[in-house]
Amino acid sequence: MAFYTRGKLSFPGGVHPPQSKDLTRKSRIEAGPAVKEVAVMLSQHIGAACQAVVKKNDEVRAGDKIGDSDAFVSAPVHSPVNGKVKQIALESHVVVGRSPAVIIEAAAENNPAKQPLLKFDGEFDENRYSPEQVCDAVREAGIAGMGGAGFPARVKLEPNPQMPKETLIINGCECEPYITCDYRIMLEWTKQIIAGTKLARKASGCSEVIIAIEDNKRRAIRAMSEALVACGGDGIKVVSVKTKYPQGGERQLIRAVLKKNVPTGGIPPMIGVVVVNVATAAAIAEAVVYGRPLTHRVVTVTGEGVANTGNYYVPVGMRVAELIEHCGGLTKDAVRVILGGPMMGIAIADLTTPITKTTGAITVLTKEQVGGAKFAGRETACIRCGRCLEVCPEHLNPTKIAHAVKNDMLELAESYYISACIECGCCGYVCPANIELVGYIKTGKVVLAGRKKKVGG
Amino acid sequence: MLENITVSHSPHISKPLLTRKVMIDVIIGLVPAMAAAGFYFRVYALILIPACVVSAVVTEWLCNVIRRKPNPVESLGDFSAVVTGIILALSVPPALPVWAAVVGTCFAIAVGKMVFGGLGANIFNPAMVGRAFLTASFGMLMMTWTLPATVDAAMPKIGAESEVAGVTEATIQAATRATPLAWSKEAIKNEYGAQEVNKQLFWGTFMGEIGGCLGETSALALLIGGVYLLIRRTINFHIPLAVLVSAFVFAGVGYLMNSDAYVSPLIHLTGGGLLLGAFFIATDPVTAPLSTKGMWIFGVGVGALTMLIRIVGEYPEGVMFSILLMNAVTPLIDRFCKLTPAGGRPNV
Repeated sequence: MAFYTRGKLSFPGGVHPPQSKDLTRKSRIEAGPAVKEVAVMLSQHIGAACQAVVKKNDEVRAGDKIGDSDAFVSAPVHSPVNGKVKQIALESHVVVGRSPAVIIEAAAENNPAKQPLLKFDGEFDENRYSPEQVCDAVREAGIAGMGGAGFPARVKLEPNPQMPKETLIINGCECEPYITCDYRIMLEWTKQIIAGTKLARKASGCSEVIIAIEDNKRRAIRAMSEALVACGGDGIKVVSVKTKYPQGGERQLIRAVLKKNVPTGGIPPMIGVVVVNVATAAAIAEAVVYGRPLTHRVVTVTGEGVANTGNYYVPVGMRVAELIEHCGGLTKDAVRVILGGPMMGIAIADLTTPITKTTGAITVLTKEQVGGAKFAGRETACIRCGRCLEVCPEHLNPTKIAHAVKNDMLELAESYYISACIECGCCGYVCPANIELVGYIKTGKVVLAGRKKKVGG
Repeated sequence: MLENITVSHSPHISKPLLTRKVMIDVIIGLVPAMAAAGFYFRVYALILIPACVVSAVVTEWLCNVIRRKPNPVESLGDFSAVVTGIILALSVPPALPVWAAVVGTCFAIAVGKMVFGGLGANIFNPAMVGRAFLTASFGMLMMTWTLPATVDAAMPKIGAESEVAGVTEATIQAATRATPLAWSKEAIKNEYGAQEVNKQLFWGTFMGEIGGCLGETSALALLIGGVYLLIRRTINFHIPLAVLVSAFVFAGVGYLMNSDAYVSPLIHLTGGGLLLGAFFIATDPVTAPLSTKGMWIFGVGVGALTMLIRIVGEYPEGVMFSILLMNAVTPLIDRFCKLTPAGGRPNV
């Protein structure tokens, strides 16, 4: 097959946690349950938070913009349902804590569940749209990176004369254990992803386009390759990369596919690369062709701690508890509810937390998975075994950084490049001394940022 | 159900690997050497190894009690004291009186490890600290060798045929010079006899049928244990390889220059404590550098210093001193070998 390169492309470091994807890899994407209320966070992306553009008691229709910002690095938010604004209040946010959200009461009638699948044919021609049109549509649809980081897609795609883009990588790695939302999208929305890919290429002006998929997703590799064959390839190629965590991290992926390093503290456009997640590509196609804003996404509900698992197409703003309820609720031995996967996901205690544009999965683990024995014990002394250095995909010294933070020596932590840490969790995963390396590093980053702010002000 | 929900930082899953498992692996890796010690030195091994292990564990417990640790037995669960006890027992002469071994072990744990704050905080390998203490305090006892039970204990086989390197039988019978390295030392002094040693000693040093410290005589047993640790990835290959290669090269240069005075590098690798040191002592993660580059420097340092001591220095054996010396410079190596992030150093 001409458009598919086999290979063991990889990066140094990384770990091989149990994949646990069998729970949901065969579950087709289903429409989620009807919701009575959604809480749409005004900050779901990296960059400036939105200001609400609706007031209490305003009537809204599905797709109406309810929050926006003038800032360049930002993405508007939209209502996923027809209904009435109940209030604008603080809600639990996965990343930033309590933050403002628009709470919309869904109208009982006139609120059909949104159909997940749109029609895209293989002959899709992106030349009907100008790059500016694509960028504007992406911006208006509020698309933010759906792989997890949530970087506004328009900012990524828009040509920047200082950093000309040459290569577009569509990220279908999904290296996090348990999660299968991207895998299912690649199988079921294949043509939509390819349409989005072409539009992203058009907008960014990239000449080379690579769709990278981990080699444990053979069916997805085949589906994407066949779809490309059907539409003549058009210069897009599919490459299989080695199944290894964190292969889907954009810096690691670029290293594996292009053998290039993104500068420390830099971003991919500095070396002429844009990385876009497959779900984001699908959202781009939907936004540009159908003018539909990003109001729904596929969420994998998985883990041994939830009664039924599956992949659901749900409105952004739906509360985690409702979706878990729809899946039969938590099992008796569930001990941890994670938004995202087990390696980088964030554990939540408040199940009313709403789903955001970046929530790919709800993973519920039992005591057995979180390592009963290992986590029952406290952290023990670092024996300097160096395993964290071996697995660090950014080639850092996690134990030195963590201990510098622990002893409040932040200058030392900075001299070991604490800010270069991507928080992938490989170090904590392998540590035989139970040291919460990522916890220390995250804490150190927050404290450092606070100090810098103080110095600046 | 919600009351069971806990939160923590990511990652939420982890490899089922604990410090205890690492240490148990090292103990398993030491089993062949212990078995060889038992085979060649019989009752000495049966007494010394348990004595050192028990005194190591008891000393750690006592130190924890003195430091008013809330749970003084907790730290014993990581088995690191057991490892120190075994390694110290294997690196002393078989006939060392038990009281001396116990005193040495207590010193190793108390001064070598616990005063620094316990596991992970010590600068020097505790077993080597204990051995250095014994060498300095009871020099004569630490130089008194016993021949394996499998050969005629009254008379070393190798010395029986002739006066190798001008050493008289009387000295051999005093049983103070019966190790292969002692022979090589004599050869260096007299610039004669190294070839004789090469001929006779390699097989003995490889199998272990030779005088020497309790657990270091059998190269074969140590290699089996070392390979086990490498396969289990309990240790990295960098340090052992660097130690052995640098020692081999160093000894090889001498051998090529004057094969009458310097014994073959193979004797240097298999004789004395080099293999025990390379696989089990220099690889002690606490006292070795963190980075790969640092490990190479550390290993080359250990190998080269060992050979420097063996060939040029006064002692026939140099593994202990070279490891302690390299332990001392490990923080410097770590500082010198700072990792460069994958994306290069940021221009700040």
